Amino acid sequence: MKPEITLRTRREFLRSTVLGSALSWTVPSFLANTFSVLQADAADKATQAVTGKDGRILVVLQMAGGNDGLNTVVPYTNDYYLKARPRLGLAKKDVLPICDDIGLTDNLAGFKELHDSGHLSVIQGVGYPNPNRSHFRSTEIWQTACDADRIESSGWLGKYFDNTCSGCDPTVAVNIGRQMPQAFAAKNPKGVSLDSPQNYRFVSGERGKEGGMMEDSYKKLNEPDMENSGGTVEALSGPVKHSGSALDFLERTALDAQLSSDQIRGIANRTENHATYPASQLGNSLKLVAKLIGGGLPTRIFYVSQGGYDTHTNQANTHQRLLKDLGDATKAFIDDIKAQGNLSRVLVMTFSEFGRRVAENASGGTDHGAAAPMFIAGEKVKAGLLGKYPSLAPADLYQGDLKYTVDFRSVYATVLERWLQTKSAPILGKSFPQLEFV
Amino acid sequence: MLKPLSRDRWNYQAAAHLFNRAGFGGTPAEIQKLVQLGPERAVAHFVDYEAIPDNTAEPSWAEPEPDRAGKFMAAQRASEEERRKLLRERQQQDRQRTIELRHWWLKRMATGPRPLQEKLTLFWHGHFATSIEKVREAYLMWQQNDIFRRMAMGNWLDMLIEVGKDPAMLVWLDQAQSRKEHPNENFAREVMELFALGEGHYTEKDISEGARALTGWSYDRARQRFVERSFAHDRGDKTIFGKTGNFDGEEFLKLVVDQPHAPVFITGKIWTFFAGEPPSREVNEALASEFRSAGNTFKPVIKTMFAAEEFYAPNLIRNQVKSPVQWLVGSVRMLERELPPPMVCFALTRNLGQDLFAPPNVKGWDGGLSWITTNNLLARYNEAAALVQGDMSGAGGAMLVNNPKGNAMIDRMLQNAPVGRVNPDKLITQAEREDKERLLASLERRLIQDKLKPKQQATLRDFLDSKSDLSDEALRNAIRLVMSTPEYQVC
Repeated sequence: MKPEITLRTRREFLRSTVLGSALSWTVPSFLANTFSVLQADAADKATQAVTGKDGRILVVLQMAGGNDGLNTVVPYTNDYYLKARPRLGLAKKDVLPICDDIGLTDNLAGFKELHDSGHLSVIQGVGYPNPNRSHFRSTEIWQTACDADRIESSGWLGKYFDNTCSGCDPTVAVNIGRQMPQAFAAKNPKGVSLDSPQNYRFVSGERGKEGGMMEDSYKKLNEPDMENSGGTVEALSGPVKHSGSALDFLERTALDAQLSSDQIRGIANRTENHATYPASQLGNSLKLVAKLIGGGLPTRIFYVSQGGYDTHTNQANTHQRLLKDLGDATKAFIDDIKAQGNLSRVLVMTFSEFGRRVAENASGGTDHGAAAPMFIAGEKVKAGLLGKYPSLAPADLYQGDLKYTVDFRSVYATVLERWLQTKSAPILGKSFPQLEFV
Repeated sequence: MLKPLSRDRWNYQAAAHLFNRAGFGGTPAEIQKLVQLGPERAVAHFVDYEAIPDNTAEPSWAEPEPDRAGKFMAAQRASEEERRKLLRERQQQDRQRTIELRHWWLKRMATGPRPLQEKLTLFWHGHFATSIEKVREAYLMWQQNDIFRRMAMGNWLDMLIEVGKDPAMLVWLDQAQSRKEHPNENFAREVMELFALGEGHYTEKDISEGARALTGWSYDRARQRFVERSFAHDRGDKTIFGKTGNFDGEEFLKLVVDQPHAPVFITGKIWTFFAGEPPSREVNEALASEFRSAGNTFKPVIKTMFAAEEFYAPNLIRNQVKSPVQWLVGSVRMLERELPPPMVCFALTRNLGQDLFAPPNVKGWDGGLSWITTNNLLARYNEAAALVQGDMSGAGGAMLVNNPKGNAMIDRMLQNAPVGRVNPDKLITQAEREDKERLLASLERRLIQDKLKPKQQATLRDFLDSKSDLSDEALRNAIRLVMSTPEYQVC
């Protein structure tokens, strides 16, 4: 018996079982025939099938560390602001006005252009009741969308997938980075995480027939035991019974890795960018997201992050450099997506775990605070300022922090209902008033 | 008091479990030795490490920088350009030293005489999660690492005080800048939230009052050591956990460890790290009460834990995802090969999501299932080729600097690094080479410490059958394949 033949036969068996019919294993046919399409009947009707050609996409952009909202969306005429920030305060000459008393810091020129062309909405004073000043706890609150006095393990995006997407392709959620964000944590976790497509594969290290043999063996070692378990598509991509064992989780991840690897690398190799991005980590991440969207990866949610906002000391330069990177990278991304003709399908939402204290500290920085702005970018947004800028009057502050005027879960609810077109209450635990940004 | 594991349940798998958890795993021969010792002496072998001499040399630069104050003064007189040049050189030196420091520690884990001491040091590093990214000085990171090692099984209050006064921590959580006029709450908050009590066991008021008690603890940059600045200390009364007094930093920490929940919290953390899952309420209570009666010292409770029947429950064995450090050090030990060079070790662990001395935040690494994403898993499979075959082609790509050009250069350097590879003769006997069934069983016993699934065994058999003879290269390929399985990622 020639082992090569056995291998091929077994793999074809697996593939045909996975896909429900004997399709050839080429990338285009795989793309055109994702699990969710084949499984459309089984899938929850609340989810639009994701084919990579239509369907809306949400890009979540995390500004990690707690962004100083006051020096981002600047109340540049406000006396309280200038008094609380003798060193860090931005004057009229440092801002790009949006209205008579509020402007974007001039390093956000990219955002200003997006705003002026009707592609950027600024939601002011976003936060939540009983704000927590711990990075971890507050990040957790934003990631899980729970009340500040409750601990929740599933993330809000994870709950979205649990509620709407029982039979989706693993690439329905893609995180650019090494660690999965808690927002994706779910009863049935979805999504892949990668930082560069070139490394996203099994490298056999051998050429020709030897290499093929290694790769075949790797695939078989990492496939579920279909012959013995009588597995079906449902067993692979449908609701998975989690015994909670680490090995179960690893087996599932190994299969997701195998299936998504060919797909993502194929797309990244044959797709090009149509804009110039800053040479930064965020720039590279958004560049890759644009390629994956352009190449038709069947993804509903992308997640990217930019770190460094925890500016306790000598904030001025660091913070403005980060914002310049943010504005420029986002602008390039929107231009790129527009050039692809996909802008009507894409929405970008930024968030940070908290804003910072109104008063600057003695080290030329700012300490952990509360409410801060969020940005929403896309074609179908209502451009301009939304919500109300929180009062800076000392009597209106809570322990030196801005009081929120918009609950972040109102923003999530709006995104879920109006953009992702699903009911938000089962995901967020209750109903939140929606906003008019999309 | 927890019941110890009975002698009749002590076997190869139990001994391997102890080796993996109390250390970084062992070879079949080493595990067999533990089996012969019996459970009690095997546990003592790890825990009573003070008796084992450790002559590891410290890094050559692990001492306060001579005449730093003079250099600071000179820098102040220097021109802007010269100052920048000095700063660049200093940063370059610290980056280099941090890479050396990581290697120095990994080597202690891989070949040092006291594996549990290193494992505990790793626990404390994750617990007090301090990062070079903010601290910026390799010497300070080494100093903190040395505290963790020295006090790994000691008294909890002593440890907290020492860590509170540790320069790296003073910088990391901004205590160095705390003054009575502007108390910085960061360290006081994390002591309660993350280090000693956990959420729900303190109030915001306890934090701000604790921060006042800690004012005056600072860092002498020129001498690179702790300094108590009495002018910065707030001498007023503070009310912490309902007690009022003119508390200072040490008294504040004593109040914290005397909280009724404190022993439950810290023993629960230790169990979770070593067992892989949080303890049941009963186990946690038992550990906490032993900890209390031992005057808040760790050694007795650590010994009890490794001896306890509950520690060998079937749902704990081979159910912990290896951390990247465990994966690397454990692999080096199982494969009986040298630790790769410093830069390679740095790239390998960073690729897998764990930079020693640079945890993602003050909460440390989440650990467990969160080590595993699709790309981290593929990276583990590719790094197996680096360790086994010296083939770095799939193992580069770590973003070592935030600059694409620099990364391309580092990648080229990594591709040409002398990584070294496995010598199959060390792992496989001639008899095993001649009998594929024995060969497979030997690989399973060494690398998985359990059986693979029938389909996986068949795959490996097919692979070996396709080779006309079992050359070293074929054996290395087979080893790499065994490491490229979900099964290899747990211990």
